[in-house]
Amino acid sequence: MSEIAAAGVRPVGRSRLGAGAQASRGAPDVRRMLQLGLAGIWLLDALLQYQSFMFSKAFSQMIGGTSAGNPGVVASPINWDATLVAHHAVLLNTIFATIQLLLAIGIAWRRTVRVALAASIAWALGVWWFGEGLGMVLTSSASPVNGAPGAVVIYALLAVLLWPADRAGRPAPFTAARAVGAPVARALWLVLWLSLAYFALLPVNRAPQALNGMITGMESGEPGWLAALDRGAASLVAHQGLAASIVLAIALVIIAAGVYLPPWAAKATLVLAIVVAAVIWVFGEAFGAILAGGATDPNSGLLLILLALTYWPVRATVTGPARTAPALAHTAAAGADEGTTGS
Amino acid sequence: MIPAWILDIFAAIMLVVAAVSAARLAMARPWQHGTRRAALTDVDGAHLLMAIAMAGTLTASLQTLPNGAWSVIFAVLTVWFGYRVVRDAQVSGVRALAGGHCAPHFIHAGAMLYMFMAFTAPAAHGSGGMAGMAGGLSGMGTLQLPLLAFVFALVLIGYSVWDLDQLSGPGASGHYSLATARTAPTGPVLVAVGVGTSAAGAGASAGPGAAALSPAASATMAAEPVTELADVAGVPPASGPADGTGVLAPWVATGARIAMGITMAFMLLIMI
Repeated sequence: MSEIAAAGVRPVGRSRLGAGAQASRGAPDVRRMLQLGLAGIWLLDALLQYQSFMFSKAFSQMIGGTSAGNPGVVASPINWDATLVAHHAVLLNTIFATIQLLLAIGIAWRRTVRVALAASIAWALGVWWFGEGLGMVLTSSASPVNGAPGAVVIYALLAVLLWPADRAGRPAPFTAARAVGAPVARALWLVLWLSLAYFALLPVNRAPQALNGMITGMESGEPGWLAALDRGAASLVAHQGLAASIVLAIALVIIAAGVYLPPWAAKATLVLAIVVAAVIWVFGEAFGAILAGGATDPNSGLLLILLALTYWPVRATVTGPARTAPALAHTAAAGADEGTTGS
Repeated sequence: MIPAWILDIFAAIMLVVAAVSAARLAMARPWQHGTRRAALTDVDGAHLLMAIAMAGTLTASLQTLPNGAWSVIFAVLTVWFGYRVVRDAQVSGVRALAGGHCAPHFIHAGAMLYMFMAFTAPAAHGSGGMAGMAGGLSGMGTLQLPLLAFVFALVLIGYSVWDLDQLSGPGASGHYSLATARTAPTGPVLVAVGVGTSAAGAGASAGPGAAALSPAASATMAAEPVTELADVAGVPPASGPADGTGVLAPWVATGARIAMGITMAFMLLIMI
């Protein structure tokens, strides 16, 4: 195989040389594109972490607030962390932001993608506990509309599913299955979305004004147009907490089961997942409250959209030792240097 | 309040970018190579201006021109790169609108223009609008139309991540090694485009990454304006002993673009 193929270069004479030049950039494959999406979100996180709000006492108070309702064994380390951040706000927040910046750069830089993804898993799990109170899943107040089970744990899940390795043997029906295999990937998807359905049906979320209150609570500090959108959405679900929770839970269960359906049906449920995640992100999370100036991340909606894309059915590619020569050429073209052939 | 030393670090990075861009402009010697090469120095010129403007915004002591002047400059740059994006689209199709060489520069210029136009100084500073922009971050002004700031930040982040990927991609210099493709002869030839070839020698001979081109393809190549080849990384295509090496290496321009993209996104997000 020529190295020109390995570099992902299409025949230069296909059109203009300009197009050939574009091709010589080594167009990434789907998984690499999704990794870059993850890198971009980490970069967004890092830059948000540099906001002035994060250097103030309010940041440590925000961390400390996540301990409320959690069991003591979970809450104590959070309170310790909040106290530490309160005493060394500038130093620690600078370190936090810089770590996330390095994670983003590491994932985007092909030769360090493995190290960065592994580090991102460790970091995300640490933040999930110390910064998000395990997404409040143990507090009986978690809701899929306000970010449960914690946005940052979805970063870790994505890092696992987008790990640059391929399982030998059977073709991967979707990108998320390439590293861990289809059964494990489907199981992870099922657990995540069923847990969201469960949270939607918690008593605190099916109270008549629960969803209304959650949405209106996001208005503070938002631009006028977004606050108006929130008000409109909140009025739609006013006193409809039970019905809204049931409808949402049904949708989430359908989404959870979707990856076990035939490709055409799976695509339909993934579209539903993207729509639901987008609705949550816009109306429930107000874009992660980024426009209000105090967000540490874009919250879960955007991550759920990226996650859904990793399950989008693709034409099965034989991976590992069983791969054919054309498949090998394709894989090498797309990701030789990202280490995708390291199965 | 963001510690001043963090803003100073970003400002220092911008000064480095400005210095590198100035060096590239000087070493490219556009005045010796006519209008063709001069037209290709727009990227380095834009980098120089943007880096100086951002440094002045991050740190008041580095302020240079008044805000009105910067607004005019970036309006001109936005129009210029917008024109080049449209021209790319006419040549290469609609994909050039997002993935062409000039699209990132168009976004960068547009983001700078937006920042200077939308800045609102904090009330305590007593001056509204753009008057407070220079060195404004230390006073923490905000931007009008924050959604636009968010969208610009997302696009800048996207381009930065993409550039990082391409810079580290197969052959490392793949995207960025096209400066010497101008030397490819016309006719049926072997052209090395790629893997592991140096920026200086990629197009000169058949190497490990060589592939045969059809006569038709070569004819197409021959018809391609030379400027298209170098456009990918903003590297001057005209001859010169230092083309594509040292500070003129394509990755230098891309590195500058990454640094500016991240810094610009940082500025936009902290002023929301």
